[in-house]
Amino acid sequence: MKKWLGMILTVLLPQFAMADETCMSPYMAKIVGQEDFVYIWTLGVEGLGDEQDKLVTVSVNPNAEQYGEVVNSLSVGGRNEAHHSGLTDDRRYLWASGLASSKIFIFDVHTNPAKPSLHRTIDSFVGQSGGVVGPHTSYALPGRILITGLSNEADHGGVTGLVEYTNAGDYITTHWMPKDGELNGAVKSGQFADGYGYDVRALPRRNVLLTSSFTGLNNYMMNLGEMMGSPEAMSNFGNTVVVWDLHTRKPKKILDVPGAPLEIRCAWGSNNNYCFTTTALTSEIWLIYEQDNDWHAKKVADIADASKVPLPVDISISADDGSLWVNTWNDGMTRLFDISDPFAPILKSETSIGEQVNMVSQSWDGKRLYYTSSLLANWDKKVSTGKDLQYFKIYDYQDDKLVHKLTIDFIAEGLGYPHQMRFGAYSLYGMTAPPRPGKFAGLD
Amino acid sequence: MTLWVKKTQQALCWLGCLVMASAWGAPHHSSGTQTPTVAHHKPALEAPLAPGYGPLGFELPAVGSYARPVIGRASDGLVIDSRGQQTTLKTLMAGKVTLLSFMYASCSDVNGCPLASYVLNRVMQRLAKDPRLNNRVQLLSLSFDRLNDTPEMLRKYAARFEAEQAQNWRFLTTPSDVELEKILKNYNQFVIQDVDNNGKPVGSLSHLLRVYLIDEQQNLREVYSVSFLHPDILVQDMLTILSDVKSP
Repeated sequence: MKKWLGMILTVLLPQFAMADETCMSPYMAKIVGQEDFVYIWTLGVEGLGDEQDKLVTVSVNPNAEQYGEVVNSLSVGGRNEAHHSGLTDDRRYLWASGLASSKIFIFDVHTNPAKPSLHRTIDSFVGQSGGVVGPHTSYALPGRILITGLSNEADHGGVTGLVEYTNAGDYITTHWMPKDGELNGAVKSGQFADGYGYDVRALPRRNVLLTSSFTGLNNYMMNLGEMMGSPEAMSNFGNTVVVWDLHTRKPKKILDVPGAPLEIRCAWGSNNNYCFTTTALTSEIWLIYEQDNDWHAKKVADIADASKVPLPVDISISADDGSLWVNTWNDGMTRLFDISDPFAPILKSETSIGEQVNMVSQSWDGKRLYYTSSLLANWDKKVSTGKDLQYFKIYDYQDDKLVHKLTIDFIAEGLGYPHQMRFGAYSLYGMTAPPRPGKFAGLD
Repeated sequence: MTLWVKKTQQALCWLGCLVMASAWGAPHHSSGTQTPTVAHHKPALEAPLAPGYGPLGFELPAVGSYARPVIGRASDGLVIDSRGQQTTLKTLMAGKVTLLSFMYASCSDVNGCPLASYVLNRVMQRLAKDPRLNNRVQLLSLSFDRLNDTPEMLRKYAARFEAEQAQNWRFLTTPSDVELEKILKNYNQFVIQDVDNNGKPVGSLSHLLRVYLIDEQQNLREVYSVSFLHPDILVQDMLTILSDVKSP
């Protein structure tokens, strides 16, 4: 390759890749060397900058002239509760959704990777899907995007569905989550069949799709303190992981995973038929694993002191299945677990990232980690005790330690609250980075 | 098979090895914390084969018990077959269920174009034996290496897979770069010419392996990539759409 940044194109991963670059869809082209950009889907905030949701592009290649700088900021014309985003399998478009408006913004990231443009907006998600509200995970399947919902139009509770679109943004179909009374052929293996949704991951080799469960719009748009003080609101969280037939998109089994299981990350090894999730309310690591040709769920570790509500959020598994990064939003910590034995994770280290921390994105080689801070507009901390409240941070991981490289203060920059990150690279599209000024003139 | 003789191919090969080794049963790689560079290249021969080369690892649902929703329209375009005859995709596809793949004959990634050709060959053999499929299904392989994959070259390539005699597997090229580009764009097939460190093309092409399932009305019904490109799945899906299961 012209650059040492490589990609997988003819070979698509038959199983999960890990962490961020490696945790995305197995059907997607991958950046396995140095990423050039991080695209940060950012929540617009009243009184801050232009107050709009925006896609912020940061140059992260140390060889770039503008390393560590915001090189582009593309506002979308309003606030939608910007949350998660995902790339198409050909990695040409980034889908970013709003939990409040249920709008989906499709950005072209291939024409100019340094300057994404808004390609299309889907503003009829609720109607097209038959009532799914709150598009969350955008997950690449061949030629299409699978979107998890968080809620529904009828009562804004947690019952929701999976929605399929073509890469072009045309609606295909909806698959409602199985629930009591409407199991749709799924086996209810425990106490719960709540119909809730959150994250999704595919394991093509096992023909398996897994979904997790969070809460509906009534809760995720409520003030955090108010919600936590309401027993009724707190009773409306998901307690399930659903195992689906990937090929037919039919639910097969509902597993009890109490306490709102959020992100799902699966192992990489050819015989490692398991995935991890963490529970937001009970602060636990759970293993979803295949044994005897069936799927099971088991709690395998605690995360910090659950009584202090650390609130586990994003997680990231290493490429060798050896370790798992676990962020806890409330205390701003990132923890590294040794998961060599997936049934017995061992805490290896704890590092404070900021006053709050949500997302973690890891390069393919695990040498670089990126962190952002925002969870939800009405849940985020509003009063800072320092300057690390809303940020994007870059760390190197070397000698078993996180080494801080750079911080962008998103409040000081007037950008908003940064949420999910996705990586970009010139080489994905056969491009090369523009030369640094001065090099050709011999001035560098 | 000539494998990874050039620098670019070596880099991609390494990636392929890494992915395949982890996913399909080869010894688990231990270089996950190293930045993949050409220096870390491992021979492609170490790469396990894609699932399509072996028995399917899971039980398929019954024919007609699931849906393959329409996900778009199959685009038309001018093509030239391996006998040198110019025609259109629309003409070829009319009234038949079609599996359309994009390939180039000199592709050496065992889990790339050769995988697609291997799987289609297996499907071709099944077509001949299954009256439910015979005469109702066809296979089309369209080259995106127009200059090298002449009709004569495609005939030779087809002969390797006994496709010339089968009559239901055609190999195609395009009459011009403009036509090729139009077809590739319409099918969202993006091809990158690999270059060396000086930006000089090295002869290999990178692309996202996709095979398209198209129904008799030229609706696009499924897209397969390497992890799901298996003859059993293709046959099951073709039988399912022929059983007239409509999308919801």
